[in-house]
Amino acid sequence: MTGTILFQQLINGISLGSLYGLVAIGYTMVYGILRLINFAHGDLLMFAAYTAIYLIGIFTLPWQISFPLAMVITGLMGIVLDRCAYRPLRDAPRISLLISAIGASFLLENLAIVIIGGIPKGFPRPPMFDHVITILGVRVQVLTLYTPVITIVLLLGLLYIVYRTKVGKAMRAASKDFEATRLMGINLDRVIAITFFLGSFLAAAGGIMWAMKYPQVNPFMGVFPGLKAFIAAVLGGIGNIVGAVIGGFLLGLGEIMIVAFFPEVSQYKDAFAFVILILVLLFRPTGIMGEPMIDKT
Amino acid sequence: MSKERRNLLLNIMGILVLFVILYLFNEYGTDYQIRILNNMAVFITLAVSYNLVNGICGILHLGPNAFITIGAYTSALLTMSAAEKQMTYIIVPLVWPLNVLHTPFVVSLLLGGLMAAVFAFAISFPVFRVRGDYLAIVTLGFGEVIRVLANALQGVTNGPLGLKGLVPYTNLWWSWGVAVLTIIAITKLINSSYGRAMKSIREDEIAARAMGIDPFKHLLMAFLISAFFCGVAGGLLAHLITTISPTLFTFFLTFNLLIIIVVGGLGSTTGAVIGAALFAWGGEALRIVERPTDLGFLKIPGIPGMRMVIFSIILMLVIIFARRGIMGRSEFSWDWLLSKLGWKEKGF
Amino acid sequence: MGDFFQLNDLVMQFGGLTAVKDFSIELQAGELVGLIGPNGAGKTTVFNMITGFLTPTSGQVRWQGEEITGFPVHKVTAQGIARTFQNIRLFTDLTVLENVMISFHQRIRTFFWEAMLGFPTYRREEKRIRESAMAFLQELGLAHLAKEKAGGLAYGQQRRLEIARALATRPKLLLLDEPAAGMNPQETNELAVLVRELRDKYALTIFLIEHDMKFVMGLCERIKVLDYGITIAEGTPAEIQSNQAVIKAYLGEPK
Ligand SMILES: Nc1ncnc2c1ncn2[C@@H]1O[C@H](COP(=O)(O)OP(=O)(O)OP(=O)(O)O)[C@@H](O)[C@H]1O
Ligand SMILES: [Mg+2]
Repeated sequence: MTGTILFQQLINGISLGSLYGLVAIGYTMVYGILRLINFAHGDLLMFAAYTAIYLIGIFTLPWQISFPLAMVITGLMGIVLDRCAYRPLRDAPRISLLISAIGASFLLENLAIVIIGGIPKGFPRPPMFDHVITILGVRVQVLTLYTPVITIVLLLGLLYIVYRTKVGKAMRAASKDFEATRLMGINLDRVIAITFFLGSFLAAAGGIMWAMKYPQVNPFMGVFPGLKAFIAAVLGGIGNIVGAVIGGFLLGLGEIMIVAFFPEVSQYKDAFAFVILILVLLFRPTGIMGEPMIDKT
Repeated sequence: MSKERRNLLLNIMGILVLFVILYLFNEYGTDYQIRILNNMAVFITLAVSYNLVNGICGILHLGPNAFITIGAYTSALLTMSAAEKQMTYIIVPLVWPLNVLHTPFVVSLLLGGLMAAVFAFAISFPVFRVRGDYLAIVTLGFGEVIRVLANALQGVTNGPLGLKGLVPYTNLWWSWGVAVLTIIAITKLINSSYGRAMKSIREDEIAARAMGIDPFKHLLMAFLISAFFCGVAGGLLAHLITTISPTLFTFFLTFNLLIIIVVGGLGSTTGAVIGAALFAWGGEALRIVERPTDLGFLKIPGIPGMRMVIFSIILMLVIIFARRGIMGRSEFSWDWLLSKLGWKEKGF
Repeated sequence: MGDFFQLNDLVMQFGGLTAVKDFSIELQAGELVGLIGPNGAGKTTVFNMITGFLTPTSGQVRWQGEEITGFPVHKVTAQGIARTFQNIRLFTDLTVLENVMISFHQRIRTFFWEAMLGFPTYRREEKRIRESAMAFLQELGLAHLAKEKAGGLAYGQQRRLEIARALATRPKLLLLDEPAAGMNPQETNELAVLVRELRDKYALTIFLIEHDMKFVMGLCERIKVLDYGITIAEGTPAEIQSNQAVIKAYLGEPK
């Protein structure tokens, strides 16, 4: 393999990985507080992509407005999801919560089929992201370069909220000790709602960039990115925001590189992430940055 | 006559009545009715064995579709004749010894179950290292891995093309025979000391360990038995619909089973049976909403996806508002039925 | 019989916190020994290390001359060491009788397929288990509740069921973690009588944690005191009661 191809794949891997990372943040934040795999999180990618399409197509808003607006709407959708599917089950057995999450995920996907139809739609990629430039002899679409930059900017914004604001402090307290935080008189439902908003907001960014990258949108487009992002979150150490992004980068790079170096296994590509998941759980269940979980008797 | 003997007698009578009804349908029923009855039996087998892991052991396993896939392919490959196989595998020839193996239907079912159990055993170590949501996602992962393999290993599965033209061996006798045997075997297990040990893990794994229960051993036992019966049901399914391909066995199938056992009542075999029966019947009945209907004066267009929307909503409503489902954790018993019917104990 | 049961220099660290430090004790068969100390002193942690829920950072658990440190929990139970839990952990959705029957499972001789096929061998064993479990319920005065769900019992009854369940594993050493917690004085007195009776009847050795001083002082022959994971005193109840370090440890703590 030549250096340029390697470089090309490196860029692709980082770009894909940053998308996983963005989506993984939502998983990690929700898991941190509720100890729940928000199964429907991946479907918010789809939700965001369709919302953006309609904002551009029907309301003829320019993308500079419609993309951020779609992110906000998806954030609110995250709150609705929590309100309807998870909040009624706060004190229920954990298994119920997860089943509700799976139900919510199927509901979103099939509602999309009912309302929009199962046929893939094209995504209107703004021309600005279409440019191809040449770096070190490699031709790269600018979108591929923007993706990691946008991810890092959003990550820094999120870290600011989590570590420098009051609500961020409440979030961190809730993920350390849910009951104690409740007893301290903090309105946990509000904290959780904000967590869902932020996670969904970032997932929407991931969804829109995903739709620009593979410019086809269909009701199931969020399933695999969602599962892989969750695996990225576990790889990075669940509950750890920076870990989620690092896990995303590693998983994205790994997927691209495996296929680049061993083209003959490309049909097994979708199984790669699960193999990683199983290896992590077997050998380092706390992930790269996670703290050990305490199991009290 | 003791209560035990009376219940045994009633059980036998119940089964006889069931088979008389099946006989009548077999003779006089429409194809549509027979298909629903077959589906019902297969779903009952699947749901009862799925419930053993999810309802009795209390873990959320999301990979029964993997077991069903393995059972279906194994069984199908064993009943196809060598000539059929040669014609089907046009892109990549079927590997030896599968290309020459040929067994009777019943053997193929048993081997299908056995292969599923072998696979369950192979994945059990990573699966039971974790619990809760992690276990769910790991089993889901293995389900996906099997689907990827079914697509990729063309020399075994014929890839995305799948297998066509299987002999429709599965009739009412096979499907219901297996369903009844599954119910009996799994009920006996659940009511035994082994079943109690499984329930104790569900109730409180820490306390169970302190009482000398080895969680791994008992979860594995439930997992393998469940896989075996799912594999057998997979074989039945293959020879019922006579065409199988990887798209048939996605997470969708698992989702349907999950709905069945949640609606029936997680942890109740009776509930699993009722849930499966409702699902097989309701699933067919609901097809109307996806099919364009012409009422003469009014044309209603079919809405694709509507069935799954309805199912998802049912699942969520049950889990949020009626978590115990239809049966809770209770089981059907003759004592209960007789007392409902006003039967006096002193009759015996 | 110097090698009935020994703990040698057990240490348990959680991250930076040393919950238990250099804990040693030797129990003789038939003894009734108490472990006391303020909240968070590390008492339950000692039990968790003995029963295999925690693997000690260092030190040894020796049982009948063999080292069992780090054994899986169910193997420790199989060796004849049983415990109850401070925060009651019954199988709440199962009946009282089933709760006790589960303890017999570790010794079951029939295989699962004998149960699935309804073999007479299995049915006989099930019957025997049921009868023995009933006997234990009788012993603890719970027989009339056999068919109730365990979760529905009154608090004191739940504590007794915990003991019945532990007894049914047929231990030689019984560890009781705050068995009198939440009981009223009368129940506590009855419990003290019961514990002594059980010890004599089943030839048990008992090691118990308890905050109720009257209970401990009246019942135990020997007491060990922990504070912040460190053993600050040991001796007969009379010696402990007059020990300055113990008084300070308890008075130093509000409540
Ligand atoms: N699994 C664990 N992980 C981390 N810390 C633990 C764990 N178990 C116990 N601890 C800590 O170790 C210390 C001792 O706890 P332990 O439960 O042994 O106290 P105790 O003497 O039983 O107290 P109490 O009388 O309140 O029951 C406490 O500070 C507790 O927070
Ligand atoms: Mg304690």
